Amino acid sequence: MALIELDNITFSYAPQEPPVLRDFSMRVETGDCLALRGDNGAGKTTLFRVLNGLSFPQRGQYRFDGQEITQAWLKKPAHAKAFHKRVGYLFQNPELMLFNATVREEIAFGPRQMGLSKDELQTRVEDCLALFGLEALAEKAPYHLSGGQKKKVALAAVLALNPELLILDEPLAGLDRGSRSQLTELLEELRQAGKTLLLATHDDALCRELGAELLEMTAPE
Amino acid sequence: MIPAWMQKKEQFAPPGDGGAFAVRSLKALGGLLARVRVQRGREGRLRLPALWKLLLLLALLLTLSLSRQPLLLLALAALVLGYASTLPPGELWSVLKPALGAAVLALLLLLPAMLLWPEGRGNNLILAGKVFISIIMVNLLNRHTPWNQITRALRQLHVPGVFVFVLDLTLKYIVLLGGLMVELLTARGLRAVGRDRHKYRSVGGVMGVTFLRSTELSRQTWEAMCCRGFTEDYKGL
Repeated sequence: MALIELDNITFSYAPQEPPVLRDFSMRVETGDCLALRGDNGAGKTTLFRVLNGLSFPQRGQYRFDGQEITQAWLKKPAHAKAFHKRVGYLFQNPELMLFNATVREEIAFGPRQMGLSKDELQTRVEDCLALFGLEALAEKAPYHLSGGQKKKVALAAVLALNPELLILDEPLAGLDRGSRSQLTELLEELRQAGKTLLLATHDDALCRELGAELLEMTAPE
Repeated sequence: MIPAWMQKKEQFAPPGDGGAFAVRSLKALGGLLARVRVQRGREGRLRLPALWKLLLLLALLLTLSLSRQPLLLLALAALVLGYASTLPPGELWSVLKPALGAAVLALLLLLPAMLLWPEGRGNNLILAGKVFISIIMVNLLNRHTPWNQITRALRQLHVPGVFVFVLDLTLKYIVLLGGLMVELLTARGLRAVGRDRHKYRSVGGVMGVTFLRSTELSRQTWEAMCCRGFTEDYKGL
């Protein structure tokens, strides 16, 4: 069974506006790595919103691990929480993801709700801080960090939930060269660990290094 | 090297979590603010300069608020609804909906007075009617006059530049900040996978970030305007 199945979905933000996605179909198996490419306005971010259950297509079906994802199904908190635990989403603008007082609290926000023991939670947070070299910033307010640092904190906060599917919107944008190669290595490791990766990126080197399957998106006419 | 726990697939059954009222309310408020959008203002049937329209609106609002004659109220209602009826159905509903909502709210607020003082019911109904007509008139002006023409008309009426400037920026940033709040709460919702024992802390964080962002945006806008020659004399296009 495919992890993600999209069957002819059509989505527009308002009834009178032209659709951003028209009769779009896609199939992603567990462990796949797929890179979406396309011009601005091609619908990459909209597709990611649909895959995260933030927007719902007017036509067509979206199934995640065999379960059809609909607004009605996600209305039930238990369903929504279980679904969001499995799908991690890095926004294109990480600034919109950070709302806690310190970097440590930001990373702990998700796993703290999973019923982990204090030691497990501590380990998870420390591991994520170390993974991105954020130890020195642990007690700083995310709001006051630089763009690249914010992106790392946002990704660390997503990974702390240990999702099966990672949806990353422009993961390397705004990062310096060192951070880019560090993140590329991390994504390779995650892929080897069996995570499913879905990226929107214009970075050819990243696609090559991850051996990602490319999907060109064009705006519907 | 990624840690061992990240390499395993986890089985997770989310625990129940009550008390999401604050989060839902804040999200609803943010959504409402994000929808407060100044219309592009297409020209309607009444092709008058914006200054005339503004003066007409002010005169009608003044007449409406000062008059206690039900007949005048009915005449104004007929005039305004007659003009509104020329709009296409979808647009007509979007003009009437907020006015109806405000009139119902006014009636609810006046309900205790109407119950305690039955002889004043007529006046209270007139008041609700005035709210209804006023909002339709403002909505019609907003729909049929581009915002830049309204600001120019305000300047022609010698409204202080700083007032127009603040009004302009406030409307613009209410939408932006409402959108920001919704995005932050969405991001919070995506990671709120279980029982959040510190719900009010994270909601407070969202409000704090929104406040910080508003301060930063206003400072940056001011600096950008100064860099482009703004001399504190606001001129609409």
